[in-house]
Amino acid sequence: MNTLTHHLTDETLQDYSAGLLNAPMETLIACHLTLCPACRQRSDLADAIGGISLNDEAVAPVNASAHDILALDKSSAVLEVAAKTPVATGTGVPNPLARLLPGPLNELPWKSFGPGMKQYNLGTQPRKEGAFKLLSLEPGRRMSKHSHTHRELTVDSEVPCISLIATDAPVKFEGLLGKVVQPFVGI
Amino acid sequence: MDAELQKTAKASDEAAQALTQRMRENLVAIGKRRDENAFHDFYDHFSGRIKSFLMGKGTQESVAEELMQEIMLIVWRRAESYNPEKAAPSTWLFTIARNRRTDYLRGNSRIEVELDDELLEVDNSEPTQEDQVGLFQQSQILEQALNKLPQEQRQVLHLSYFRGKSHGAIAEWLDLPVGTVKSRIRLAMQSIRSEIVSEEIG
Repeated sequence: MNTLTHHLTDETLQDYSAGLLNAPMETLIACHLTLCPACRQRSDLADAIGGISLNDEAVAPVNASAHDILALDKSSAVLEVAAKTPVATGTGVPNPLARLLPGPLNELPWKSFGPGMKQYNLGTQPRKEGAFKLLSLEPGRRMSKHSHTHRELTVDSEVPCISLIATDAPVKFEGLLGKVVQPFVGI
Repeated sequence: MDAELQKTAKASDEAAQALTQRMRENLVAIGKRRDENAFHDFYDHFSGRIKSFLMGKGTQESVAEELMQEIMLIVWRRAESYNPEKAAPSTWLFTIARNRRTDYLRGNSRIEVELDDELLEVDNSEPTQEDQVGLFQQSQILEQALNKLPQEQRQVLHLSYFRGKSHGAIAEWLDLPVGTVKSRIRLAMQSIRSEIVSEEIG
């Protein structure tokens, strides 16, 4: 089943709350939060701190008055909130990730990149903005050590596992993997 | 703490709580009765702060003004979805503003937990914070905890939320070692957590 080896750091949760992360990192954190009630509670705390801190914020002069907004309400069309597209069930991964997949994990066009190691690329972004991929490791495969600056959760799995990897910076280590983060399936 | 300081801190806690309560009532009144006076009061308090938040990440003034107006229109139109049992008014507004800014800056929506996700793990084994203390009380405790933080800690916390800055960039901005920034944030979070826990026990 799902194995969470680490909890998210306060720094990561604050950056997520402040909206500072890119879409791959947000996806990864949303997946973790789906599976981890403890971090979800800490994430709510981070949002609450953000809210209270609004009161510390300087007051910028505004052009519109409350009257203008109410007038805007009468003159502008009601924007429908776009309904979320339905997501395939039974994929075994949280919705924020399932939305990005064309089918179940075992039917993805995985690409082998070494013995017992396969990957499926999720990102179309250039490498300088970081990696976004799923990684499948057979038992006994371990990640090589490499340097990152922050926000890493390395999986040293002894069972086969599928992990989501997202980075918001290029990896210094040439050749292999970004920040390994969210393991989903240890079969 | 000396008696005079204690008195000041208590007065500022009380003022902050009264403000939160007023804004909560405003949102509820807008949601229930389309109360325009309540909207005026809410708008007058938050519009400039929201605009400032939007400009913090380098968004130009005219764009920030436009986004602020859209956000306030969302407040007016969606106030009935505000649940005073679930979130403080400032938290609700903060998340709307942040999500709108993300939409604008990135061109795609904020990615969040979906509460109907079949994989959503719910921890039933221990009571949540909300079960132990009411949310109303919880936001009061949090406000008090933030008010008690030393200025230097509150400053880095504020910068990390409102200036779109990494810890490294905050360090550069304040001309401090990055370790100092990290430890201030860590200390701030420790104090906040211990405040919450001690209030729950006591």
